[in-house]
Amino acid sequence: MHAFMRTLTSGLPGNELKWLKQGAKESNRSLESLVKRRLAHEPIQYILGTEPFGDLDLLCRAPVLIPRPETHWWTAALAEYLPKTNKRFAEHFAGPTSRTLSLLDLGTGSGCIPILLCHLWPKGSIVATGIDISQHAVSLANENATLCGISRSTFKAALADFLDPAFPNAETINPPYDILTSNPPYITADEYLHLDDDVANFEDPTALIGGSDGLQYYRDIANLISRDGFLSSDAVIALEVGHSQADVVSDMIHSKGFNTDIWRDPWGKKRTVIGHRR
Amino acid sequence: MATPEDVARLRQLKETEPLQVAWDDWTSTRKVLEDMTPLLNDPDPAMKALASEEASELDQKLSNILKETLPSLLVPPSTTANLSALVELKSGVGGTESSLFLATLLRMYMRFSQSNSWQATVVADNENEGGGIKDAIVEIKGVGAYDALRWESGVHRVQRVPATESGGRVHTSTVAVIVLPLIEEKDAQKEELYSMDDIKLEVMRARGAGGQHVNKTESAVRLTHIPTGITVSMQDERSQHQNRRRAFQVLSARLMDQKITREIAQRRATKNNLIKSADRSEKIRTYNYAQERVTDHRIGFSVMNLTSVLEGDALQEFTDRLRQDFEETAMEDMLNSES
Ligand SMILES: C[S@@+](CC[C@H](N)C(=O)[O-])C[C@H]1O[C@@H](n2cnc3c(N)ncnc32)[C@H](O)[C@@H]1O
Repeated sequence: MHAFMRTLTSGLPGNELKWLKQGAKESNRSLESLVKRRLAHEPIQYILGTEPFGDLDLLCRAPVLIPRPETHWWTAALAEYLPKTNKRFAEHFAGPTSRTLSLLDLGTGSGCIPILLCHLWPKGSIVATGIDISQHAVSLANENATLCGISRSTFKAALADFLDPAFPNAETINPPYDILTSNPPYITADEYLHLDDDVANFEDPTALIGGSDGLQYYRDIANLISRDGFLSSDAVIALEVGHSQADVVSDMIHSKGFNTDIWRDPWGKKRTVIGHRR
Repeated sequence: MATPEDVARLRQLKETEPLQVAWDDWTSTRKVLEDMTPLLNDPDPAMKALASEEASELDQKLSNILKETLPSLLVPPSTTANLSALVELKSGVGGTESSLFLATLLRMYMRFSQSNSWQATVVADNENEGGGIKDAIVEIKGVGAYDALRWESGVHRVQRVPATESGGRVHTSTVAVIVLPLIEEKDAQKEELYSMDDIKLEVMRARGAGGQHVNKTESAVRLTHIPTGITVSMQDERSQHQNRRRAFQVLSARLMDQKITREIAQRRATKNNLIKSADRSEKIRTYNYAQERVTDHRIGFSVMNLTSVLEGDALQEFTDRLRQDFEETAMEDMLNSES
């Protein structure tokens, strides 16, 4: 290695350098250009263009949010949990029934949540829709589904704004839903100013900022789920929350007629609020 | 060495067909030899010479059957014959020189695997800042890989003048090699090597707030097998899923290794013979650059072509001899224990 490259790469953790080397080789790009991008704080997932999500490899493209390990963790847990959650779901997953379960993912980004669920559950057990306000995200989510071998009749991403009061009547969606998932933007305006450059300079602020207190999207989701005919009578919802938001969000959901549960992630944070219609 | 009476006992030991064939071969050869014994004292010198020549050939054949054919058939219906191998290399004394030599050994095993049509993949490695590789784990997939490589376990010693040494002084550095039996995931479950209840799985990183706040890749995992205290950390892959799979693979290999060692020890503990040391801190081999010589200290065998050994070619001579040595010892064990 040239002395120049050695100085350049000394700022990188050993593993990242190794992955960049592999990436440079596979894509026929110069290692130097990749290292320079990384040293300018560009996330390695955007440089390499992919991020593992469980046993899936998802495409990553700026500025669509990079799927996080926490999100993978609870989505995989949900995949195991849901079939046991109530009698109708249990029967449904045990074998084909007259109606397929339907799932809606709000702010689907790369499509990671519904795509992993479609991948883990038996073929044909659910039909999923992901909506996002960003056209970049919608395109990426559809590409990812194709890449993972999931057909458009099983999962589809579409453009929509779920804060819009007219959203429940949007033609892109088809309520009532049996399962609602979301990892909505939850960072407060204040926290946003203190994020690492790796996050703040490259990922879409629309994917990160949840209003001044970080809770704006949860308020809107709470209103949505209490709308008549939006969810089925035994629906289950799963919401990712920021490290200090679980209790507040749990209360919001509870007040709309849901029993709630909070799941802790492997790093010890209260990460997911689960709701069952009472 | 074994007497004919010993071999007769072997007959009851195993009634497999190839053994029967070898046994029949042995008895018939012996019969021929007995029948011609009178000719060895034939008054006709020409006849006598002919007979003694033939007798020595037959003798040779008998000893071959005894030393090679029978051991390979008897020793033990190898439970490890199908296993692939996991080779761990760790630099020892000698600093950077040791890491440089580790890279050379790594290359030797990769090439050796290639010429044996095994599939070798480096699954983990750490570069050394001054050059070379600090440690590495190589997965070598293919039937017979473990049985061929298992005797590579131990300390490998290199004697040479390091490229960086201006004074031309010879340095001695070491690399530790551990060869573990690699088993498939499904077989690991069959072997019941561990129960999931005994495993602690940790994700290793400080994530701060985590979630949307952080996008750093930290996919490292650590497994602890509580009953044995074995821990395995894996961080080489970007995928945590993959690291976890690798960690379980290494854990299974270590537990399988312990199991095999235990079984050998048990077999030998029931006998009063000497246990050949399987000490992994033992220096097993020396690579001497000035003399172009590689010596295996366990069998007192040298190859005077260091380059060919390091290219992975002449390594075969060592692995073959070591395996043969193992089979002979195992056969002796068996014979001695049958009385
Ligand atoms: C935190 S990201 C989550 C992305 C993905 N679900 C994940 O877990 O990696 C939030 C997503 O919500 C989308 N979003 C933000 N405001 C939205 C709105 N009003 N309507 C629809 N989607 C919105 C963003 O574009 C972004 O893709």
